[in-house]
Amino acid sequence: MKFTLNWLKKYIDIQGLTPEEIAEHLTMLGLEVDTLAPLYQELAELKTGLVTSAVKHPDADKLTVCQVQIGEQSHQIVCGAPNVRQGLAVVVALPGTVLPGNFKISKSKIRGIESFGMICSERELGLSNEHDGIMELPQATAHGQSFINSLDLEDIFVEVDLTPNRPDCASVIGIAREIAGVVRKPLTLPVQEAEIAHPSSDFSVIIEADELCPRYAARLVKDVKIGPSPWWLKKCLLNVGLRPINNIVDITNFVMLEYGQPLHAFDFDTLAGQKIVVRTPRPDEMTFATLDDAGRQLDSEMLMICDGEKPIAVAGVMGGLNSEVTEKTTNILLESACFNSVSIRKTARKLNMATDASYRFERGVDPEGTINALNRAVELMVAVADGQAADNGIDCYPGKTEKPAITLSVARTNELLGIELKTEGIIDLLESIGIGCQLAENDKLTITPPSFRIDIEREADLVEEIARLYGYNNIPATLPKVKLSYPEQDSNRARRLALAERLTSIGYTEAINYSFISEKHAEMLNIADSDARFSPVRLLNPLSEDQSVMRTMLLPGLLETVKRNINHQKTAVKMFEIGKVFIPAGINVQPGEVMLLSGVLSGNRHGESSPLHFKQEPVDIFDVKGAVEFIFHEMGLGRIGEQEAIRFALPENGGEPFAEQQYALNIFAGEVQLGSLGKIKAEVLRRFSIKHDVFYFDLFYDRICDLETEGKKFSSLPVYPSVKRDIALVVADNVSAGELLARVRNTRDKLIESCDIFDVFKGAKIPDGYKSVALTITYRSETKTLTEKNVEKSHSKIVRLLSDEFEGSFRNA
Amino acid sequence: MEQELQSLETEARQNLQSLDDKSLLEDFRVRFLGRKGKFSTIMRQLGTVPAEDRPRVGQLANSIKAEIEKLFEAKQQLLEASPDGSRSHTGPDLTLPGRYPAPGKLHPISQVMNETCAIFENLGFSVAEGPDIELDYYNFEALNIPAHHPARDMHDTFYVSDSVLLRTHTSPMQARIMEAQQPPLRVIAPGKVYRCDSDITHTPMFHQVEGFLVDKNVSFADLKGVLTVFTQKMFKKDLPLRFRPSFFPFTEPSAEVDIACVMCDGAGCRVCKKTGWLEILGSGMIDPEVFKMVGYDPEVYSGFAFGLGIERIAMLKYGIDDIRLFYENDQRFLAQF
Repeated sequence: MKFTLNWLKKYIDIQGLTPEEIAEHLTMLGLEVDTLAPLYQELAELKTGLVTSAVKHPDADKLTVCQVQIGEQSHQIVCGAPNVRQGLAVVVALPGTVLPGNFKISKSKIRGIESFGMICSERELGLSNEHDGIMELPQATAHGQSFINSLDLEDIFVEVDLTPNRPDCASVIGIAREIAGVVRKPLTLPVQEAEIAHPSSDFSVIIEADELCPRYAARLVKDVKIGPSPWWLKKCLLNVGLRPINNIVDITNFVMLEYGQPLHAFDFDTLAGQKIVVRTPRPDEMTFATLDDAGRQLDSEMLMICDGEKPIAVAGVMGGLNSEVTEKTTNILLESACFNSVSIRKTARKLNMATDASYRFERGVDPEGTINALNRAVELMVAVADGQAADNGIDCYPGKTEKPAITLSVARTNELLGIELKTEGIIDLLESIGIGCQLAENDKLTITPPSFRIDIEREADLVEEIARLYGYNNIPATLPKVKLSYPEQDSNRARRLALAERLTSIGYTEAINYSFISEKHAEMLNIADSDARFSPVRLLNPLSEDQSVMRTMLLPGLLETVKRNINHQKTAVKMFEIGKVFIPAGINVQPGEVMLLSGVLSGNRHGESSPLHFKQEPVDIFDVKGAVEFIFHEMGLGRIGEQEAIRFALPENGGEPFAEQQYALNIFAGEVQLGSLGKIKAEVLRRFSIKHDVFYFDLFYDRICDLETEGKKFSSLPVYPSVKRDIALVVADNVSAGELLARVRNTRDKLIESCDIFDVFKGAKIPDGYKSVALTITYRSETKTLTEKNVEKSHSKIVRLLSDEFEGSFRNA
Repeated sequence: MEQELQSLETEARQNLQSLDDKSLLEDFRVRFLGRKGKFSTIMRQLGTVPAEDRPRVGQLANSIKAEIEKLFEAKQQLLEASPDGSRSHTGPDLTLPGRYPAPGKLHPISQVMNETCAIFENLGFSVAEGPDIELDYYNFEALNIPAHHPARDMHDTFYVSDSVLLRTHTSPMQARIMEAQQPPLRVIAPGKVYRCDSDITHTPMFHQVEGFLVDKNVSFADLKGVLTVFTQKMFKKDLPLRFRPSFFPFTEPSAEVDIACVMCDGAGCRVCKKTGWLEILGSGMIDPEVFKMVGYDPEVYSGFAFGLGIERIAMLKYGIDDIRLFYENDQRFLAQF
């Protein structure tokens, strides 16, 4: 809602309040002031002038050489406007003035004649589009004055961000009413409350769609002279950003802003049968041209204002071209009505139109304010456009209802707000904004809300009024008195947060990507159309193609992230994301939501650490494998390995379609797949414009959370020393190191405490097709210090076992 | 033996005096004071000294040993303290940077989200998460926003189908939890929310934390108290804040909470649009209609609810001027927090 303080002053005395104080009051009443700014600052340097002589330019037909008196001085100005003449009061921009649009005026020579400034048109001043001639000021305007002062343009513009519950404040009077509560002064209203004196016989009104139109009133104004509005009216509209059109249309707009009641003026002589019919369109009336010259497709639910034959306006949204007020119009039928807000909203939505009228009707207008606004506009049409109006009209009010009274409990109000107001205090607050109260029983008030406050229907609504009038900031801040209870927390969430922290400790940075991605991403990752991940949940109204489907995987977002970071010259990308993916479950059914944990790794192993201390080496598959082992361990799931309950497995069917076959592992618990890891195929990376190797892991976080964790348990620290023995075994290339390790670990020799691989070696003295695997075995007894003999016994068994089972030979270490 | 002890003392003193290299200290210690050193060797003869002399010789031995040890320690300190304690070998250049590990970082949104949740958890709120893709019923209807209500304009909604949408706020969790549980309730619901809007101050996805408390005799003053605790813990202790009337269909009365602009300390700047205030959250007393919808008696129970935007808080807290940075996952950005 836009207005100016001068406009506001017409209805309420705001003397003694600064503009800032008014803005502060409005904001703290719930009418948030978005803008508070002096108007026309850019016109401050302009002066009024009097044309004392106007002589044709000797060398140019269309130019006039003027002498313009501005105060003491006379200035010679060459002007091209056809309407410039001696004795005219004009607006002058002297050299040095900057006009709107950063147009600087300077002294110049036009066809040999010096010109000291410019006489301005309304368009040059940014006041209207009028550019046929210079702006003509009222004859009585004194010269040498500041232009904005002399036209009383000095004003403060205010824009309030209205919440949907306050349509009553979509009017200057509504705003004034709120201020009245602050300054405790009466409102000055432009017209007296009145009913339509007696029905008019000049025209008739029939409401066929009662439900959609609770009230329809109209009056006839004859013999109007269509023309530009007087300056005061133009100014009001200009000041709030509305374009003046002609006196009749300007009056309807002005009264709408004044009262909040949208009005519409029809050219009465275009109406067939001198009749208004409020109804929905017939099947043959499904196209309609609105005032903005646009063809509209109607449907049978839309409420139309029709004459005896055809639709002439989309009710509450916009008038029709066929009944538009034009320069030739002489008789006006003026409509002031109340329409069903849902119906107007639906219509405006379907037509994709949002007008000042539909804005107000959608939120609801005061059904008792219809006649006041109508009478006010008629009065102005008589005064401004020389119209003739009888004191009759038509008022159809099929939807008249009594607003039910509300009972307000003083005790309950105080309890809900945490304050201690007395009954009188509450009455005082409510009555200050026109809400009348009656004392019922001792602690109760009976309140019938005024018709303009359509938002007040219940006790809670009144409590809010009291709170806001009392001042939210006068209410104390206390802490609730509650029974102590231990809040139950979601353990999966707690583990998730802890895991994220742990991942950062090993150098992974958390990414958060949008939940929606491009549909193309599935193909970019080679996802087959038979794969569930190929069929995402689709948005009906995406912002762009790139964000049109809900993600089924985290990797596309992470790969985009890798690309972006490499483009920013990052030499290492090490990131993870824990987030939801979405699985369609059918039309109008909520999709499944699954939490995944994925990571990507590319570039330097030690991140951005200085090469001074850290070897610069690229990451490889074992970095992601290690990260996965770390994750399972941190989640309390113990060791993950080829032979453990949670195991790595080579993919049987080639694995993920985006992973390189030789660099891919799946992770299983029993038959349940927990995820995969590997190296992203180069062809996939090319589609993301990534030239570096990228490794990934992709885990079903929810499934991992479901696994039973190993509790933390202490085992006694060893008392006796351990003995380490190494074995370097030369085996065929196809023997996997993991098998060797598992074999040793599974011997069940109680003396073997642990076994690890410390080197894998090929070439040099190792024959082709073979490799050397170096294992280190730690022996320890819980009951004694092991002797060489004890260890030798166990160790030689292992050596024999490995060489027999894996056909290995030993290399001298 | 006494003589031997005396000459050992002299020898040790001389040795120590000429000792000028740190690396020779250990050699001296072994040679004189070690288990097999000269002093121990002499001391082993103590048994051969006549019994009546033994206490005296023993005392002498001890005092000489103590003296040598004292001198040795003094020398050790002298050589180790001096930077060129060793003339033949230069120490490391300690002005070189330390071996700094490359740590990862939690996303700033996660950091602020965790901090926010922790404040409310410390006040005894439990945490619940809900679905990102919601039913129209929970996102709107159950929150007193029927179809065709103008308040729907406040939500630019992404739809999946007629009745399924991406939640536009975390408030649906109010309805879901109240439907499933009985008061007293003290819950926060963090999560992602979505609106079709994208510019320098809006991203189509962002994060909110919804919170609500339902019990008997809960007042607007309580709402103010809890949110005051929150803003002051999140920003700073004496941060001015104000409660401003507003409108949400699911609360009545409704309040926006503004904090004094953290950029200009309330003086007025570009960020706060010269008002000196910054809006950081919406709140209010839960509307009786919402209670009725979940079967609570609004005559018996009252409660408050609030919703706060994590991006907004993070931007104010860290002075971030473009919300889109959060979703570019640029490591140069993420590493700053």
